[in-house]
This record gives sequence, structure tokens and C-alpha cells, in this order.
Amino acid sequence: MTRNDLERALAELPFRLLRRLARSTVGPHILRSGKRRMIHAILAVSETNPERIDAAIRTARAEQQAIEAVPAIVPDADAAQKNKPVDLGTFLEGLGVPEPKPFVPDPWQLEALDALLQGDVIVSVPTGSGKTYVAVEATRRAMMEDRTVVYTSPLKALSNTKFTEFKKIFGPESVGILTGDRRDNPQAPILIMTTEILRNLLYDAAGGEIDLRLDTLGLVILDESQFLADPERGVVWEETIIFCPSQARLLLLSASIGNPQELAAWLTSIRPYPCHLVRHQHRSVPLRAGYLHPSGKLTPLFRTVSMPPSPSQAVLHPEAKRLFTQYEEDTLHTRRSG
Amino acid sequence: MPPSIHPVQLISVLRLKSLTPAIIFLTSRRSCDEALQSFGQGGVSISPARREGITAVLEELTVEYPSIQDHPLREIVTTYGVAAHHAGHLPSWKIAVEELMRRGCLDAVFATTTLAAGVDFPARTVVLTQSGVRRDQDFTDLSVAEVGQIAGRAGRRGKDSVGFAIVTPSPYMDLGVLVRGLTGRPEPLDSQFVISYPMVLNLLKAHPVDHIQSILAKSFAQYQLNEQAERLESRHEKIHDKLVSYAPRECSDWLTQWNAYDHATRQAAQKLHARRHVPPEVSERLPYLTPGRLVTFPRFRGVVLRSYRSRGQHRDMVTVLRNGGTVAESAVADITSVGSRCFDFTPAPAFPWANQETLAWLNQQLESLPKQSPAMVMSPVIPEESGDDLVKSLGDLFPCPTCRCRPTCAKEFNAANKLKQEALHNARSVQSLRTGLWHKFQERADTLHELGYLDAGYKLTSDGDWARLIRIDYSLLITELIRAHAFNGVSPPVLAGLMASISYDNDRPSSFPRITAALAALVTVARRMADALAVHDDPPLLRADVGGLAEQWVGDPTITWPQLCRGTSAAEGDVYRILSRTLEYLSQIHSLHATHAELGAVAAQAMDRIRRGVLEELP
Repeated sequence: MTRNDLERALAELPFRLLRRLARSTVGPHILRSGKRRMIHAILAVSETNPERIDAAIRTARAEQQAIEAVPAIVPDADAAQKNKPVDLGTFLEGLGVPEPKPFVPDPWQLEALDALLQGDVIVSVPTGSGKTYVAVEATRRAMMEDRTVVYTSPLKALSNTKFTEFKKIFGPESVGILTGDRRDNPQAPILIMTTEILRNLLYDAAGGEIDLRLDTLGLVILDESQFLADPERGVVWEETIIFCPSQARLLLLSASIGNPQELAAWLTSIRPYPCHLVRHQHRSVPLRAGYLHPSGKLTPLFRTVSMPPSPSQAVLHPEAKRLFTQYEEDTLHTRRSG
Repeated sequence: MPPSIHPVQLISVLRLKSLTPAIIFLTSRRSCDEALQSFGQGGVSISPARREGITAVLEELTVEYPSIQDHPLREIVTTYGVAAHHAGHLPSWKIAVEELMRRGCLDAVFATTTLAAGVDFPARTVVLTQSGVRRDQDFTDLSVAEVGQIAGRAGRRGKDSVGFAIVTPSPYMDLGVLVRGLTGRPEPLDSQFVISYPMVLNLLKAHPVDHIQSILAKSFAQYQLNEQAERLESRHEKIHDKLVSYAPRECSDWLTQWNAYDHATRQAAQKLHARRHVPPEVSERLPYLTPGRLVTFPRFRGVVLRSYRSRGQHRDMVTVLRNGGTVAESAVADITSVGSRCFDFTPAPAFPWANQETLAWLNQQLESLPKQSPAMVMSPVIPEESGDDLVKSLGDLFPCPTCRCRPTCAKEFNAANKLKQEALHNARSVQSLRTGLWHKFQERADTLHELGYLDAGYKLTSDGDWARLIRIDYSLLITELIRAHAFNGVSPPVLAGLMASISYDNDRPSSFPRITAALAALVTVARRMADALAVHDDPPLLRADVGGLAEQWVGDPTITWPQLCRGTSAAEGDVYRILSRTLEYLSQIHSLHATHAELGAVAAQAMDRIRRGVLEELP
């Protein structure tokens, strides 16, 4: 077989078999490269050891024929289509503004609101799925029962955003904000503050200073509760939860966390009523991941349009993989020479 | 090829594929600013209609936040439709950028990862350019939760049907970290419960000391520790089950018994070994080898200067003055005969073990001796108790040598003992997991008792009663300073300056305005106090230069915000943060007005003076 014949024969092999061939003849390091690089590496080996390559190609072809000879096992066209890496067109498909739909609360949002009637609730859902709706509706319900609502966030900036937002929804007279050094409408039925301030209020109340607001407290919303694990400030969330008056319901809103059941079990163990956990991984707006090469070329990051469900099932798009490998090689090279 | 994509090109690609608006996450504030500035050279400006839109929104916000009016970045934002958002900016400017983004006026925002955890402003696309984040001095990988937060910004509900997370490589980016972050499960939350001094005071104010343990038991920390303890206990049971097969046999506690017996046997064997090492002819000679003794070796004669036991090989040795005058070391075993002659001299404590004159005299004596000198007749050494007897004598102390269980005990001891040790260790761990928090609390309470905030019955003293109102970091330092009358006659600017330097916990170097002598003196006092308290509480950085900033802002009511910022190399956002933290600390001091009227009034004055201009824009 001449070199050209060999090259053609290799190029005709399915990529899977080519990989196996390259692995057995060149070595595992070649698997990171693309098809062309693999063929060149195999050809380089064939110059020193042609018999071995010939034998390997014969075995590979025999395998290929064996696979083709059993049509029943060949997956149907749909599955083959599915197995093919997604192309850029499909990847970008559906981009744009969705049809305006009347707002219908998600089942999990209603579940959280209903559960609040029975006890505390932890909501652990991906960012941007609509935790605010739960907070607003829960506040509305508590207001109807003439209960005070405290909404806490970890950052002043977030408190300010929520202050503006709640003033728009409930009217400026019914929303107040408390910061370390300032009180704005502090007798309002809805109070927005950082968690530290609420902790201090609870300590004052426990120390004997009577605060009417805490007596009528019906709902405490702790936004961004994943701050519980913050190395410096996490303790404040624990203190707040431990000293939260028993007549008030707790609503913990958090981004996706690893152990929400544990958190719920803890709340159930220390609070007078059971804690209900609402969690899901489903994003309301689906996410797709792309890879943008410094040259300006955009490709999908994964083989599939949607996100792989776990890291073990995450298979990079061949094009993204090739570009990234090439990028690493190039930058490594410039770094070495520069 | 450039190491990473140019910001202008990045935005044009995103525009081309209709992937805007986008948030581009960059490593540092500086890279955000540089990305924004690069639009000044070669950026494509947006349509006049959109420009007007941005200007209108900014005008609208200026009513509430006047500092937006002359913001230096306004020009770039309105021309190119891109902005930067990071902690170096004023909160009002950040709010403006967020509002512009929310209304869809911007194509892109360059942000640091702090944004991800901070505010709520989504986009159609997020661009990830890094897999690590700077924490303190280190660069650490982004956690799954953090990547999740970043990716969570992609896709606006109701405005996008799909959100995009675009990865673009930069040097030192690890694609694996991002793939794991995008697809993996977020990390579990772990409690970070710490017992602080204000917590102790506030708990003891509200609850009697015997309730404290049950209150601490309600913490998530204790919950997690209990879970750990339960896991250990279940293992404990398993170990116990295994230990059953090594149940008592002849004696009730065979493990201890065997351990003691084994130990004794080993020791006896060691003694034996040491004794056996000395041959009888050597041991019988030893008593005679006094300094001055004449000894004969196969090839020379000499006078013993000292005898000793070599450290390394434990051999009996002598230092000998040989005929000819050399001083050398020889083994006792090599001696052929010990003479009856013994010269009288005074040995020296160190080499050569006698003074030169003595040595010369001894040498002379040696030379003058006849060739044959009479040898010593030695009495044979009575052999001491032999080894076998010693082991047998253990039989008096232990029943083991004759016990029928002896072989089984010998066989099983190692395995059983390992299990027993593990069980003991386990029990100790469980104990410390269950009571660790309470002990930590007691430790803190004892310190507070020592310092006089608590009485012997763990009740608050009058000092403790006001000190509990200071609920910030370094509370102990502040209350101790108050008790030491360090704030007597302090002026509002100096008080603000000290609070700023206590509260600022960043050691990033930047230049700040000069400080007055009064503040310098107070900072020195505070530093001395912090050092004295270092055993109880970590001392703050106490950067005097940071204090200068707050001092200037409070002390000079005519100074404007731009003037203040010009006096320092710190970013506007940092200056704002320093002052707002100072406000927080001052308000804690102000809360003491009932007991410390004068100090409270000074704090209130300082707070009043801080709150002006930019500092008044936000609650």
C-alpha cells in the first residue's frame, strides 16, 4: 500500500475505529487530537513499521464490516441523527423573544405558597426561575392577615433593589427599609433589611426591649439563604433562624444548593412546625452552552443542544474540543517562545 | 493569535449572532475597565435612537442619584451601548447600569464575578472568560454553585426563549472546571457557625446559663455535628460487635492484662540482651580499671587514664597512655592482662585526662618499668540472676505464663487492641462533637468574665449590659477602648477615622490622605489594645491611612466627593464602602447613648457629617 492509499484508507475509517487504531499504534496521547492529526501520526508510525499498521487496518475494516453486516443493531435514522453533534444552526435556533404569554404561576410556586400555610418553606431552585413571585405573593397573603413581613437580603444593594420593587407593588407607605444607620418608614408592615439588622432586632427583643413589630411578625423571608455557608457572615443566618419568633413563618429562598434536604430536616427539628422543601433543577428559560474561539468562531460547547444532565455525561462538541486543543497548543507555544 | 478575544470583536460577534444583551465576566476590575476603554478605539457606535434612549434613562435616574450626572463613563456608555459593573463603582452608578440593562438599552456589561452573587440583572447571554476567581491572595477554581450563579444570569424570563452561556478561552483557563460547573450538582452547604463575644453577651442577657447549651444545640452547626457523631456512633456499634468475639476469657480484662504482661516481658528481654552483651572476662576486669592502672595489650603496655562505655556500640572502653607518650582509646576486651601496679595521679576532667606534666611523668614511669610486671589476680564475677529466672519471676506478677489462654491471647492481642483503641478514639470524637460548641462558648464566657463583662455566675455586669449592643467584628476591641477611656474628648473626625481603620479589612495597598496627630495617637492606643487582646480575638488590620479618608470627609464639610476621591488611589466604590462601613460602626457606638451620652453624641455628629453628597443617595 502506498502512502496515499493508506491515507485514503484511514480517512475512510469511521472516527471511532480510527481512534482505536491510533490509540493502539501511536499511543493514548493522540486521542486529544483531531482526525487529521491522528492520520498523520499513524502515517508517521507506518513509515517505520508498515506491517503493523496494515494488520491494524485489516482488523479495523473487519470490525467495520461486522458492524455493517448486522443491520438490526444499527440504530434507526433518528437515533443516528441524535448521535450526530449538533450544528451551529440548530444551536442558535429558537433564539429570540418568546410570544407574550399570560402569566401563569408554576406548580412549584403554588406548592411553596400552599406549604407556607402549614409551616416553614425552603425554596431551592435555579437562579432566575421566579423566586421573587413566591416572595411577593407570600407577602401579599401575610398583609391580608395584618401580619408584619420582614424581607432580608445579604447585601445593601439587593435590599435597595427590593425596596424599590416592593414600593412599586405594595405602595410606598407600606414598605420600609432598615439599614445599619438609617430607618426609612420603620413602622411599615413590610420591612426590608439586611440579615444582620434582623439578627440585632431579634437579640434586642430577646434582651427585653419590646418591639411591637416582632409581635405581629407573620413572615420572615430570607433571600439568598445560601449565604448560610459564607465563612464570615454565615453565622448570622443561623442566629436569625434560631431566634426567629415561633409564630412567624420562615421562607428561605436560595439558589440551587447541594443539601437542601439537610437544611429542611434541621429546620423541622428546631421549629414548631415542619419545614417543606421545594426544589427543582428545571430552568424556566433553557440554557445552552457555546464555545467562542478567539478567532471569532462560535460553536456549541456540547454535542447536544441542551445541557448534559451531569458532568459524566458531558461530551464536548468535537469542533469545540478541537478548537480548544488548538488554542492550548498555540498559547503554550507563544508562551514558550515569548 | 491573541491569547483571548478582543472585547470589541467579542461584542461584534455577539451582535452578529443576536446574542446581545450579554454579561461578560472578567477576572478583575481593571480588566473590566480596560475592556470598556478599548471601545474608545475601534468600537462601533450605536444608532442615535438607542443613544437617546440611554440618555433618557440616565436623565431619569439623575433626579434620584445626582452623582450620575457627571459620571466619567457616561460618554462611553451612551456612545457604544456597553458598560462596566464592579465593586470599584459607586452604588448609584451600578444601579444606573442595572436599570439600563433591565430596560434593554445596553448590548453588553463587563462585570466581575462578584456581580453573580450580588444583584438581580439578567441578560440573554453570559460570557465566561475564566475558570478561577481571586480570593484573598490566591486564585481558586470557581465552585459549581458559583458557575451556576453566573450561568443563572443567562436568559431573561419572558424576554428570551433561550439563554446562552458562552465560554471563551483565556490563558490559564481550565475548561474542565467550567464543564463541571455548568453540568454538575452544586456543593452542599456547611455551617460556618462561630461563637463571637457579642453572641455570648446577648445570649446570656436573655437566657440563664443552663439554657445556653440547648440553644446552641439548635444551630445548624450542631445539627451537622450530630449527624457526624451519629455516623461515628453507628461505626462504634460495629466495632463493639467485633469486640464481642474477643470477650473476656480467664481474666475479666485480658487486653490490659496482656498488654502489661507483654510490656514486662519485652522489658525483661531488653535488659537481658544488654547484659548478655558483656563477656565475663571483660566484666571481671572492669572494677580494676581505675585511673593509673597498668595494663598490657598484645602489642603495647599503657596506663589507664579513664574508663567508659562507648555510646554507639555500648562497648567498655579505656583511654590509655601508651608507652611512647600517645593517648589512645582501646577496647577493654583487647586487654591481655591487668597489672597489679597502679600509679597515683589526679585525673583531669577532659582530654587528655591529665595535665602535661603528669603525662610526662607517667610516661617516664612506664619506660622505667621492667619488661615483665606482675599481673593482677582477679576474683571471678558471680553471675547475676539469669534471664530465664527473670521471665519466670513475671509469673509471680502475672497469671499469663501458665494460663491456658496464653497462645490465643498472644495471637489475638494485636487485632483486638487495635479495635479497642479505635473504639476509645471514636468515643472521644463523639464526645467532642457533641459538646465542642458548648465548650467554645464557655471559653468565650470565661474570657468575658476575666475582662469583667460577666460575673462569676455568668450574669452580665453593668459593663456587659452596654457592651452587648456592639454587635460587629472586633467588638471586644471597641468596648475595651471605651472602658479604657480612650475616647474621652474625642472629636467626630477622629472617631470616624478610627472606626474606618478598624472596619477596613482589605490589605490592598493604596494611598490615602494624611492623618492628623490626634488620630495617629488614637490608632496607636487602639493598636496597643488590639495586641493585648490578641490572645482572645484576632486583631484588625488597623490601617491608619484608611482612617485619614474618613477623618477628612468628616472633618472638612466643604470637601466634595470628587475632591475626596482625588486624594486617594482607592476606587470610588471602595471609598464609598469605607465610609458606609464607618457609618455602620458609628451607629453601633451611637446605640450606647443611654450609658455613654457624650460618646453617643460624638458618634451621631460624625454620622451626620458623613451622610452628605453621594453618601445620602441611598438609604
